[in-house]
Amino acid sequence: MRLSQTLDLDGTSIVCGHCGHGLCDKDVNWKEKAILNETPMRTLGDPYSTDEQVLLRVFSCPNCGALLDTETAMKDDPFLHDKIFT
Amino acid sequence: MIDPITFSIIRHRLFRVVDEAVITLKNVSGSAITNEGHDLMVSLYRADGSLLMGGVGFLHHLTSAAEACKSIIRRFRGDIHEGDVFLLNDPYTAALHTSDVYLVAPIHFKKELVAWSACFVHVYDIGATNPGGFCPDAENIYTEGFSSPGLRLVEKGEVNRAIMDTFLNMVRSPDMVALDLNSMIACNNVARKRMRSLIEKYGIETVDETCKTLITQSGEKLRARLRELPDGQWQSRQYLSVKDEIARVELTMTKRNDTLVFDFTGSSEQSRHAINCTKWASLGGLFAPLFPLLCYDITWNEGVIKPITMIAPPGTIVNCNRPAPVSVATVGAIQSVNNAACITIGKMLSASEKYASEATAVWHANHFAVFLFGQNQHHKQAIGILTETFAGAGGARTWADGIEVGGEIPNPISRMANIETIEYTFPIRYLFRRRLKDSGGPGRYRGGVGMELSFVPHDAPDGGMHYVVSGKGAKFPMSDGLAGGYPGSPNAYIWIKNNESKTADGHSHPIRLDAMSGEKQAVDWGVFPLMGNDALYVRWNGGGGYGDPLLRPDEEVCRDVEHGLVSPEFAENVYGVAIDDKTGRLDKKLTDKKRTDLLARRKRKNGGGHAAVTNP
Amino acid sequence: MSFVVATDVGGTCTDTVIVEGGKSLVIGKALSTPPDFAGGVMDSIRSAADAMQVDVKTVFDRATLFIHGSTVVDNTLIERKGARTGLITTAGFEDTLLVTRGAYGRWAGLSEEGLKHPVATDRPVPLVPFDLVRGVAERVDYKGAIVRELDEAQVEQAVDYLVDEKQVESIAVALLWSFSNPVHEQRIRSIIKARDDGIHVSISSEVAPAPGEYERTSTTVINAYAGQMVNNYISNLQKLLDERGYRGPVLVMQGYGGLLPAERAAERAVNMLECGPVAGVIGSKFLGDNMGDKDIIAADMGGTTFKVGIIQNGEIEYAREPLIDRFHYSVPKIDVASIGAGGGSLITLEEDTSAPQVGPQSAGANPGPVCYGLGGTQPTVTDVLLLLGYIDPRRFLNGTMPLDVPTTEQVFREKIAAPLGLSVEDAAIGIFRVANAQITDLIHKITVEQGLDPRDFVLHAFGGSCPMLASAFARELRVKRIIVPYTASVNCAFGLARADVMHDYSTAMTIPVPCPAAEVNAIYEPMLKEARETLKEEGFSDDKMSFKWSVGFRYALQVHELITPVRADTPLDGNGMERLINDFEALYENRYGKGSAYRDAGIEMTQFRLSAFGRVERSGFSATSPGDTDPGLALTGQRRVFVDGRDSLIETNVYDFEKLRPGNIIAGPAVIHTPITTIVIQDNQQGQMDGYKNIVIEAT
Repeated sequence: MRLSQTLDLDGTSIVCGHCGHGLCDKDVNWKEKAILNETPMRTLGDPYSTDEQVLLRVFSCPNCGALLDTETAMKDDPFLHDKIFT
Repeated sequence: MIDPITFSIIRHRLFRVVDEAVITLKNVSGSAITNEGHDLMVSLYRADGSLLMGGVGFLHHLTSAAEACKSIIRRFRGDIHEGDVFLLNDPYTAALHTSDVYLVAPIHFKKELVAWSACFVHVYDIGATNPGGFCPDAENIYTEGFSSPGLRLVEKGEVNRAIMDTFLNMVRSPDMVALDLNSMIACNNVARKRMRSLIEKYGIETVDETCKTLITQSGEKLRARLRELPDGQWQSRQYLSVKDEIARVELTMTKRNDTLVFDFTGSSEQSRHAINCTKWASLGGLFAPLFPLLCYDITWNEGVIKPITMIAPPGTIVNCNRPAPVSVATVGAIQSVNNAACITIGKMLSASEKYASEATAVWHANHFAVFLFGQNQHHKQAIGILTETFAGAGGARTWADGIEVGGEIPNPISRMANIETIEYTFPIRYLFRRRLKDSGGPGRYRGGVGMELSFVPHDAPDGGMHYVVSGKGAKFPMSDGLAGGYPGSPNAYIWIKNNESKTADGHSHPIRLDAMSGEKQAVDWGVFPLMGNDALYVRWNGGGGYGDPLLRPDEEVCRDVEHGLVSPEFAENVYGVAIDDKTGRLDKKLTDKKRTDLLARRKRKNGGGHAAVTNP
Repeated sequence: MSFVVATDVGGTCTDTVIVEGGKSLVIGKALSTPPDFAGGVMDSIRSAADAMQVDVKTVFDRATLFIHGSTVVDNTLIERKGARTGLITTAGFEDTLLVTRGAYGRWAGLSEEGLKHPVATDRPVPLVPFDLVRGVAERVDYKGAIVRELDEAQVEQAVDYLVDEKQVESIAVALLWSFSNPVHEQRIRSIIKARDDGIHVSISSEVAPAPGEYERTSTTVINAYAGQMVNNYISNLQKLLDERGYRGPVLVMQGYGGLLPAERAAERAVNMLECGPVAGVIGSKFLGDNMGDKDIIAADMGGTTFKVGIIQNGEIEYAREPLIDRFHYSVPKIDVASIGAGGGSLITLEEDTSAPQVGPQSAGANPGPVCYGLGGTQPTVTDVLLLLGYIDPRRFLNGTMPLDVPTTEQVFREKIAAPLGLSVEDAAIGIFRVANAQITDLIHKITVEQGLDPRDFVLHAFGGSCPMLASAFARELRVKRIIVPYTASVNCAFGLARADVMHDYSTAMTIPVPCPAAEVNAIYEPMLKEARETLKEEGFSDDKMSFKWSVGFRYALQVHELITPVRADTPLDGNGMERLINDFEALYENRYGKGSAYRDAGIEMTQFRLSAFGRVERSGFSATSPGDTDPGLALTGQRRVFVDGRDSLIETNVYDFEKLRPGNIIAGPAVIHTPITTIVIQDNQQGQMDGYKNIVIEAT
């Protein structure tokens, strides 16, 4: 079952939509189990003339590296949590 | 049950009633913000004030104008007459901000109240501390100009001169404001006339039955669509900054069966600055993207509103308490609500095979309200918005790039003025106006690019002009991406003081920001001069991207570079696509290596795997 | 006697009208033969010749004037068959064309459904891709003053790049404020031409000298893109005529409503856009002039679209924001609005509500409506008209195409009537009403846009289907009367035959009012001089020339401009000037509504237009004096047809148009069969044939 464009639900597990790698149980925020790269948004280059504190969070599959989601965030703000009810 | 044929005819005609009323509004108003920006709305409402037929205008007004009708009904109960027109612009009663003035009018048939029409335009001025309506200097609602919770401007067909004159006495350029009011009176007249001839032809019972059916059907259609979508919960967050203050709009959207709940709990406390929303503004703000994203094939009316609930805690930026200032709401927190709702709806649509193609990253996340004012070259006082703010960038779709400078979702049919129109109206000369490279949010499908512009004073009798800028959020990219797509770049406003980059002819002609000499100062909130050799530079956000930039095919990135939409450095650092310096063509070998490398680093926590960290 | 021959090449048919001095005119019709138009032109002329009982050679031998209209430019754009085109513009503003004033180019031309669904929209692919756009350093300001000299070295580089590297065949040049001062554009053209004379060059200050750089650029690009195609088309046409022995003048219709000699038309591709339908409006105006009607709604319903033009007080309206295939252009063009409701428009039921929809998709000519029996499987408006009894299945297209009624009924029942829970007849009646309502709504919208009331108008019903619907929808619009012209089926060609040579000139300059009349006269002087010289070159003597001035006005600080015709004698004197300003104010309030004027900001003149006419000599055609009112001789029988006021099909008199005589009055309900269409007269209406064989329908 589809969870989003990048993630699937396999039974009660959330898995990477690209390689099928299991991330976590459906009730957990899968982002906790993904690889997080967090860098200042401004490193993207000139028109991203943002404040130093503004971060781009990139969540990837620990197995295949597929990009699962991104967030614009301040340092300590919690991850956004999207879920499908089953 | 009404027969489908009569139903089809009446439905079409109701839309035409709105259409003709919009034409009248534009004709009479004659102002740039109404005619170019399409910053207007006309809709029809049922006798009880519920939405019957929403027009294609600035969509966050459809629900709040319904509340305006309802509020007038409550206030004037028993005292509503044929030919009356009521004015309401108090944001704490129903409106979004004071300068978007509602004129609502009852429609009677054989002495009975059968419907309402309502419209708004952003009036030329409202008498707030700053000219033009957006009021960065406002500390509270009292400094944001004239505001009324409801008054009778036209009584049984006769304009109440005392009220009209009092109103006009409180604003700058009263004649232009009078035209705006006249345009709305004329608009309501046309709606009433056409509505009545419709009822005359088909009979009140048939029309009434059709209206009821239309509303029921819209509700059923939306509910059926919601049932097709998975149940779940989706979140988004928007940051707004004014000066040193950073505010958050937090949204959790929950879909269960055939209902949607938009919960803004967790959003920041109301701001000292005028970016706040009243609850009507937030409600309108979430419906503005909802209509075109979920109801593109459904009539926009009360039926669509019923399945939706909003939770907005009082005292927050999305439901501020009086007397918090709100004059910048429509380009402030409302837009953040638009953006947040666009993303949560987009995430929900993406979770469905059937509807994924309807999802979109955020379009034009951040208006840049810049109002010029002062004496123009024809020795007239002129106030006006830079209509470029209506030329936003499209967000990426799940199947295509965002449209370069494609507009916005909440106001689907806007446009910007020609430079030749602007240079004739204001004493300024543009140095350039072009698409902004690297502004589109990276992704498998790239967000559309925004633009950049710059101008200098030209033939100004006073040596220049001043401008009001209400540019919240220059610190943050606000046009979020979808499914891993990056956000588009943010806005920036730069005052180039004493720009001396002149050529032999004595004029300054730089066609890029980096070619401009003079001290550069970021300005984003307040009133500033544009005098002598000053230049103003504005650039605005690109649309959000969709999906993984590393999956964007090499040739598409190359084409973007060729078309000047992406720089070679950006292509290499973000997309991992290398362009050969000498040939300008794709370096396939290096590209493969870059992309493999970026993918590998992504698997290491904080290994720089968002593809940009290599930038020295 | 000599002939004037007019042919109009349309998307489906090529029509011909031959006017023989002193006699009534003759009509010919044939299918168009794209991409080579010549076959259709010859077939159509042959068809007219047959009707005159002469051979084609006689037609060419005796022709003294050949007038032509064609969809060639429209087709070139729609099919993207134009030249590889580059664009040179002011540096810093290279994106003007592609950015289309923001969303404007994305939503312009979309239906209501499209507007509501932005995620599914996009711009059309531009005629000039970005890598063929080059900026050059130069700048002119709002007064026309040069604030930066043209950098000629950059022009040379741009031309090298476009011609050598990118191999463009055509170049458009559009600079900021060039309409105020064209010297830089002219210089760029000289540089291109000096380098390679074979490259087509269009400059915006000539093609579309009006404010608004986006629309001006887009217009110039269209002109450059289609320029070569039109050149070839016109020289092929001239060759064809030459081979047939025709040696007289060839005039080509222009979208602004006049004719141009073929050689000049070849340079103004953009002016040929929609020239056929425009000629139709000219034809309507001529008819109106003849019949004493000054306010006319000209409605034309063909296979795929319903088109409307408005004539108000004898003046034809110009389009405000014309579009071709969703591209904007801004040359003066007579306004013709359209919706996708024609005979071939498909009828569908909305998925959930079963609400019937007419169009905008069309079955086209092939497979066409179900009744053609060519494989059409979705009912169309034509099928409905057949089921309502308006079309006689045995007489369709003069009896050349028998229609399949049983299959039509069966398909219609299955696809439409049964899902609606209605009988075939009742469902057909319902669809007929939906189509009429859409048409009524369109006409209403157009008239409201211009501040007009349809009740003050006469309706002209043209095209294959309009005469069947007009008596019903015109009733709801409450127009004064309906006229189904004798030339209803070849209206555009008829308009061509009545048009005059016309050159349009304009100067854009902003001058505040009041201003001395002499200042305005001085603006017109060079235009008049040029116009006289041109008309003289074309062989018009002074007494055949006439000039019409019109001035664009606006209230300062407002966006609407209004072209106001000069009614006073020209050159203007003080009184004439005053009258002109009063006319503008009255026109403004009329158009934009009472109280819309903002006098205190002052009035400005923005545009000075000159229309120079060369009157084309041709004899009129004569009317037959009306005779007996009794149409009894033309009565051919009775048939069940739909009568609006009775909500059902009832036995109704059927008349043969060919047997009717001027003066005959037919009481409704009734139908009249012409060789090409059916004229329907509803209950409480009557129709009378006038001396020109037009049918005039009025309420009784």
